[in-house]
Amino acid sequence: MKPLFTIKAGGPTSWAVRVVCAAALVYVLLWIPTSGSNSLIDTATTALTLMGAALSLNLLLGFTGQISLGHSAFFGIGAYTTAVCVTRWGWSPLKTLPIAFAVAFVVGALVSLPALRIKGVYLALVTLTLGVVFPQFIKWPKIEWLTGGSRGLTDTGFKFDKNNRTFELFGWNPWGNLRGENVKPFYFWIAVVIVLIIYLICRGLVKSRVGRSLVAIRDNSTAAAVMGVNLALTKGLVFGLSAAMCALPGSLTAMKGTVTPDTALLTVIGSITFLIVMVVGGAGTLWGPIIGAIVYQFITEKTGDWVEPDKIPSLLRPFFSWSKTPPAAGIFGLSLVVLMFVAPLGLAGFWKQVVGRVVAVVPKPAGSTTLEPTAPSDGIPTWQPEEPLAEQ
Amino acid sequence: MTSQTTLLNTRFLTAGYGPVTVLHGIDIEVNEGEIVVVLGANGAGKTTLMRAISGTIPRTGNIEFEGRSIKKDSTDAIVRAGIVQVPQGRGTFPELSVADNLLAGAYVRRDGAKAVADDIAKWYSVFPRLQERSTQRAGSLSGGEQQMLAIARALMSRPKLLLCDEPSMGLAPLITRELFNVIGQLNKEEGLSVLLVEQNANLAMHIASRVYLLETGVIVASGSAAELSADDSIRKAYLGF
Amino acid sequence: MELFLQRLVDGLSEGSVYALIALGIVIIYRGTGHLNFAQGEMALFSTFVVYQFGEWGIPIGIAVIMGMAVGFTLGAVTEVAIVRPISKKSPFAVFIVTIGLFQLLNWVDGAIWGGQQLPNTGVGSKQVRFPSLFPNNPTDFVTIFGANIKIQSLGVIALVGVLTVALFAIFNHTRLGLAMRAVAANGESAKLVGIRTGRVLMASWGLAAAIGALGGVVFAGISTNVNLGLMFTVFIYASAAATLGGFDSPGGAVVGGLSIGLIQNMAAGYAPKWVGQEMKVGVAFLVILGVLLFRPSGLFGTSRVERV
Ligand SMILES: Nc1ncnc2c1ncn2[C@@H]1O[C@H](COP(=O)(O)OP(=O)(O)OP(=O)(O)O)[C@@H](O)[C@H]1O
Ligand SMILES: [Mg+2]
Repeated sequence: MKPLFTIKAGGPTSWAVRVVCAAALVYVLLWIPTSGSNSLIDTATTALTLMGAALSLNLLLGFTGQISLGHSAFFGIGAYTTAVCVTRWGWSPLKTLPIAFAVAFVVGALVSLPALRIKGVYLALVTLTLGVVFPQFIKWPKIEWLTGGSRGLTDTGFKFDKNNRTFELFGWNPWGNLRGENVKPFYFWIAVVIVLIIYLICRGLVKSRVGRSLVAIRDNSTAAAVMGVNLALTKGLVFGLSAAMCALPGSLTAMKGTVTPDTALLTVIGSITFLIVMVVGGAGTLWGPIIGAIVYQFITEKTGDWVEPDKIPSLLRPFFSWSKTPPAAGIFGLSLVVLMFVAPLGLAGFWKQVVGRVVAVVPKPAGSTTLEPTAPSDGIPTWQPEEPLAEQ
Repeated sequence: MTSQTTLLNTRFLTAGYGPVTVLHGIDIEVNEGEIVVVLGANGAGKTTLMRAISGTIPRTGNIEFEGRSIKKDSTDAIVRAGIVQVPQGRGTFPELSVADNLLAGAYVRRDGAKAVADDIAKWYSVFPRLQERSTQRAGSLSGGEQQMLAIARALMSRPKLLLCDEPSMGLAPLITRELFNVIGQLNKEEGLSVLLVEQNANLAMHIASRVYLLETGVIVASGSAAELSADDSIRKAYLGF
Repeated sequence: MELFLQRLVDGLSEGSVYALIALGIVIIYRGTGHLNFAQGEMALFSTFVVYQFGEWGIPIGIAVIMGMAVGFTLGAVTEVAIVRPISKKSPFAVFIVTIGLFQLLNWVDGAIWGGQQLPNTGVGSKQVRFPSLFPNNPTDFVTIFGANIKIQSLGVIALVGVLTVALFAIFNHTRLGLAMRAVAANGESAKLVGIRTGRVLMASWGLAAAIGALGGVVFAGISTNVNLGLMFTVFIYASAAATLGGFDSPGGAVVGGLSIGLIQNMAAGYAPKWVGQEMKVGVAFLVILGVLLFRPSGLFGTSRVERV
């Protein structure tokens, strides 16, 4: 089928589309914190938190083809680094972000050491156990003095009081009121900045030459070895970077005030959540985790009270009223299965297909080398084949 | 030749891998009691032909075995019907013992443990080296021994037609000759029909009743061994003298 | 001495459950090369089904057999309808699908029988009084060398022992077992000797899920608290067991499972105080990491598993 429209990449139409999209994005970003709805701001902040974590996970998958079920641990490392620095040493929470980044980087690189020897499913297994061990480790009596054991730590965030300055532009204060009255927008903006940083790192890597050669390595490690790329070092660095980025949204959760080892996102549930967000949105695509996080958070919140039948929209009631728990977990479990059949690249891939039916983007004419028509990370990562299996 | 009954015959057989078509309409025939040799260069599609016949890859066209179309049959049904393939590169079960490999070869048989045990004993007597190593893992055998095991395993199902994919690959000339002797004997004494794929044309020609030449998925010539070696260009290309 | 005996029995009974789940993991891995992350959750589902049968008044022995049949069906259908078509795409897709099943099955358990939506939270989970296969009153114990050993534990060890022997008899002396071993060794050749590899794989997944069902019921019996996280921890230990024994070695899975159960219980008793109960799961982590670093094929696996 021929698309209805064609757009030249870099041409005026393409720029117009970009400008409109950017304007819409800025509008939404300004509208959320000033909407005055605390629940909306909370939802958005949580979605951004998941976004950051899923983007980090996606970087690892996209570049090395490796899967981690232990990113909740790195998320938790971020949370606890901030919490400990703030409560024990009285640091300002924002200053703990680089520390969290560094600590998670080191741990991530260390964990990736076995990853240099093992592949695919085994790495998933090692990281899965890491995710399981982390909360238990936090509760370990030997380090309770530092982590607060299973009770966790409190007062791990900002101190808001009457003396705080608060920023105002003609009576309009998008940061919220930092005198302790309405601080939610403030967290929202931190989340936005964190996601932006992570996104830019991912995007920068994907579009860079380094990134493209990384993808080449992923797809063919023998070729990489021939090219003289230090495979082990590269994988270690990517793993470390991914872990480090995942620690940032973790830090943010601590900045909100309390951390306990049983917080869902700090346990394996967190790892699985990040994975769901990534896959639903589109694993291996740049925008996947962003779309995924929004959809995930939206559905989770919407269906949160569906245990009571009268809260379910009447059309859907017959399907969900029997369930004793909210259906979100089931919906996403099923989505993972179904998506692998119908849209392995998730919603982002699906969206691309749909748009591709209508609009075709023509790459710049040959000769200009700045833009490659297909982003290298836009493909489902291929794991190195496990076994020459019977199937053909 | 027309007096013989046709065992296998393919009409416009095409097959390939995914979007790639490798075989472009193959017509071959194997009559009862014949050893038919298919010669062809690397990548000509010999292995693909074997796979198409034994049904491990999708195929179109027609394949008849004993007058019945086996085009729609699955691999296991084809094995039951009496066609068994010795895959290129042996394809034994490396983790299983030699004895278990032979037992697995008799998987489709339903005539009882006694008959199977008798057959195992028979093939041990043909290949005494296998008997010496009967409890050893197949993966630990030498290349030649594995090739013997692969053939013995295939014969365990009591096939009517044996498909042999480059049995000489990687074997010392002496061993190869030994193997070909065994195949020739089986053919003579038990009336086993064989479709044999070879690169080692000289050896194969000796035992061949008829020969096909396969080039990039097409049969380019066929005839008796004598006829083909009489043709100069063919002799130069495939026999190297 | 008494304490030692008790720990020995506890370790063996827990370990035998790990062994069962690990056997399931290994059976599936050998056949298809996939690690089924939903292994534990399939077992949990069947366990709840058995509980339901019990609630309906079906005698426990029959309920268990029916539960195993349900498990078999679940595993077989999963292989045929989901894993087989997906595995043509990529191993990554299979991995995601098993995670999806993990999540889905756990949710289904919660949705039908109540409780938390994901494992490992434990809070507020419904406490279920499980029908026990063996006498399980506080007075049901035997005294051996002064140690009070629960009949329940001995029963579990005996039952799992018998099942394991039966499984190995199937592996080594039946047509199905030969077919399973052949498919594991070389799928392509298995087809060429006339084995219906599809059916064998289906049967493997079914068998793995069925013995998992038994493992689940047995573990529910020896656990103080049955919640939605029950089989997740077992799965972790079972994976450690399979790694230790070698992913493609059924015998290794049994040895691995028993060892992990023993290490755990002995460590709880004899490790220095500072280690503490919290780090119990650390055993699994260290075992997996250690094995993969120093002997990737495990104790009994073939080097096929090792890939650098
Ligand atoms: N599994 C496969 N997937 C895709 N293409 C294949 C596959 N196997 C073979 N081919 C292609 O089919 C063609 C024929 O291969 P085939 O193995 O039949 O050749 P052959 O005649 O047996 O060669 P050789 O003498 O080297 O064994 C080749 O071009 C090969 O690249
Ligand atoms: Mg070949």
